[in-house]
Amino acid sequence: MKPETIMSTAKNQKWVYLAAILLVGTGVGYLLISGLSQNSVYFLNVSEALAMPAEKLTQARLFGTVADNGIEHDPSSLGVSFFAQDSDDPNQTIRVHFRGAVPDTFKAGVEVILEGSFTADTRVFEATTMMTKCPSKYEKNDKGQMRPPGSVG
Amino acid sequence: MHAISFTALLLSMLAAVGLTATAGMKALKDDFDTVALLEKGQILLTVVVLAVSVVLVQALVVRDYSYVYVRDYTDNFLPMFYAVTAFWAGQNGSFLFWYLCVAVMGCCMIYTPGYSRLDDRTKVYFWIIFFLVEIFFLFALTGPSNPFMRLDPVPADGRGMNPLLQNPGMIFHPPLLFLGYAGYTIPCCLALASRLSGGGREWLDLCRNWNIVAWIFLTSGIILGAWWAYMELGWGGYWAWDPVENASLIPWLVGTAFIHTAIVGRTRGTLLRTNVLLASLTLLLCFFATFVVRSGLIDSVHAFGGSRMGVPLLVFMIAGVAFMLYVCLVQRKDDVTRIDDFTSRPGMLFLASWLFLCLGAIVFLGVLWPVISTLWSANPVGLDAGFYNRVCLPLFAVLALIMAVCPWFSQKSGISDKPAMGLVLGVGVGAAVVIYALGYTQPLALFSSASGFMMVASITLYFVRNKAARAFLPSWGAYGVHMGVALMVLGVAFSGPYKVEGEAVLTPGQTMNVGSYEILFTELTHDHANPAMNSHAALLTVTRDGKAVGNMAPEKRQYRNFEQSTFAEVSVIPSLGEEIYATLLGFDEQGTASLKISVNPLVNWIWIGGTLSCLIAFLCWRKIERR
Repeated sequence: MKPETIMSTAKNQKWVYLAAILLVGTGVGYLLISGLSQNSVYFLNVSEALAMPAEKLTQARLFGTVADNGIEHDPSSLGVSFFAQDSDDPNQTIRVHFRGAVPDTFKAGVEVILEGSFTADTRVFEATTMMTKCPSKYEKNDKGQMRPPGSVG
Repeated sequence: MHAISFTALLLSMLAAVGLTATAGMKALKDDFDTVALLEKGQILLTVVVLAVSVVLVQALVVRDYSYVYVRDYTDNFLPMFYAVTAFWAGQNGSFLFWYLCVAVMGCCMIYTPGYSRLDDRTKVYFWIIFFLVEIFFLFALTGPSNPFMRLDPVPADGRGMNPLLQNPGMIFHPPLLFLGYAGYTIPCCLALASRLSGGGREWLDLCRNWNIVAWIFLTSGIILGAWWAYMELGWGGYWAWDPVENASLIPWLVGTAFIHTAIVGRTRGTLLRTNVLLASLTLLLCFFATFVVRSGLIDSVHAFGGSRMGVPLLVFMIAGVAFMLYVCLVQRKDDVTRIDDFTSRPGMLFLASWLFLCLGAIVFLGVLWPVISTLWSANPVGLDAGFYNRVCLPLFAVLALIMAVCPWFSQKSGISDKPAMGLVLGVGVGAAVVIYALGYTQPLALFSSASGFMMVASITLYFVRNKAARAFLPSWGAYGVHMGVALMVLGVAFSGPYKVEGEAVLTPGQTMNVGSYEILFTELTHDHANPAMNSHAALLTVTRDGKAVGNMAPEKRQYRNFEQSTFAEVSVIPSLGEEIYATLLGFDEQGTASLKISVNPLVNWIWIGGTLSCLIAFLCWRKIERR
């Protein structure tokens, strides 16, 4: 084979290589950017959600604990309404309306992770998904107090 | 026995530190005569961990509640099988189990033909690095993660095992994962040791079988977890892109990339540094997975809260990364990565590996996004399941296509068998047309399912035409794995986008419609004969166009010791086509039941394909000649 042919083949391959990388990079980049812009969701504790200004408060993933009082199961349809209290400060609560299948482990005192959005009246969170954390194994934390795992203080 | 076990582990740690220091100092003076000493040390470490493991198992069997760990995870009513498997139910026991696997595998390594082919230099470096990993475990087990903590006074009964864990799927899922994590220790240590001692690419051949075993365990652990989520949790899905699920997927993606770059490294002699890097990165990501689960950094349904293992794991990982970079970048600079032509087998493998690494990076980014976003946002921002589906699924689809066409490229350049490639592409187009005509029109699913059918056709055709492949057992392994993957691709491509769900509250005698099925709720029954639990079941009859399809009886159970919570037992009418799935969400005294029914097309092909891949991969083992 003539040297010029080998050289030109190598150069062409380099361009193909670069073009392929650019193509894949652009594709992945596009997917990433659209994913990050459309599927980002604020992760908020109850206290953080209460502290946020109303306009910013739309879709969120809310972390809290089910309060003892105010649990209303909806008998005719599927769902439950309750107060989600902040895991650190039980005085801060948000009213939650959840429509859908209530998890087995739902009861007062469990930690919940809720996905949904705040209504125009931002004191109420309309949850579309509710997940309860693995049922509590009460453990002594560093201070010797009996607390569910994952809680602070 | 508590103190004796603890002391034994502590002494192991001191012995390991001593041996490592001795061997290290001698190595610095170019003296590599310490091999026999290190091997004996490893055997000693293994004997000790086996002994303390027996102590823990015995304590679990007899329900010796003077052990905190036994009190936390068993009770007097727990069946014996679950009492034994409580060994890995909690963090402390699972660390002991992981360390046990690492130690036993290290011991087995001594007697393998691959090990006998190493020179003394590499062996010494191997053991030094391997011991450093084991020292980390011993530090954890004698400190933040001690399973031999004593309880005084001794309680009469334990806290019991969470009923969600009392299920075969959940019992085998953790040990399979840990066996996978442990298995990746050997390729990592061998890669780093080989590079430190100036070796070439021989280590790729020698650790190949270990790599395959580790992959099999990790893959089966992940798939079993998904199967358990589907069958037990009652939400009708198998993958939620939860941080803890993602954490185990990341090392799987990098490990799978490594398998393929190793093939390129072996056949083309390039990518040497890449292979060392990927082998080490896979192990470090296994520790990262544990860090995500145990540190409390990322909030998730599975996260077990902040434990004291968070900081030690972080320190270990950082040290590991630093060491890995030192060995890969500083040690030698004579590697050149060169792929002649993309349109070749190695080119396709290289491209596939890149896609796996991209996916690994994306999932890694996604898991850490709540932490990263605090750099610019007052509140953490997370990414929901939609993000991962949107970004990752197209990349998986492209991988499926690459898998389908790869066998028809030659080793050097270009397509080796144009008619076969044409036939396979034809099958793809044909499948797409048929699937579209049947009403499954979602574009990404269409592309993926067509690729899945192409994969099946491609692999079958390759074996029919290629006598050499049929005669060579490892080919059956390699292509068998990809056939299993093809089935999984088909399963996911249909059961994901085309699942149909319905929820309703019914009184006895009422029906509900989901998809083309009619479900009749006949009655609610109550079973209180079993002393361990209290169970209600909704009896359902399913018909389609008037013809009987089957019966289901989803339950709600209350377990002794966990009376405040009820647990759903899912009921399915299994099928290779459309599987019907029912959950009893709730009921009341009048016998009204609230039900959730879903129709999941082709979902069982995921489990069939997964099982096939994991079992047939054992055929990939190749004999290594003992020196």
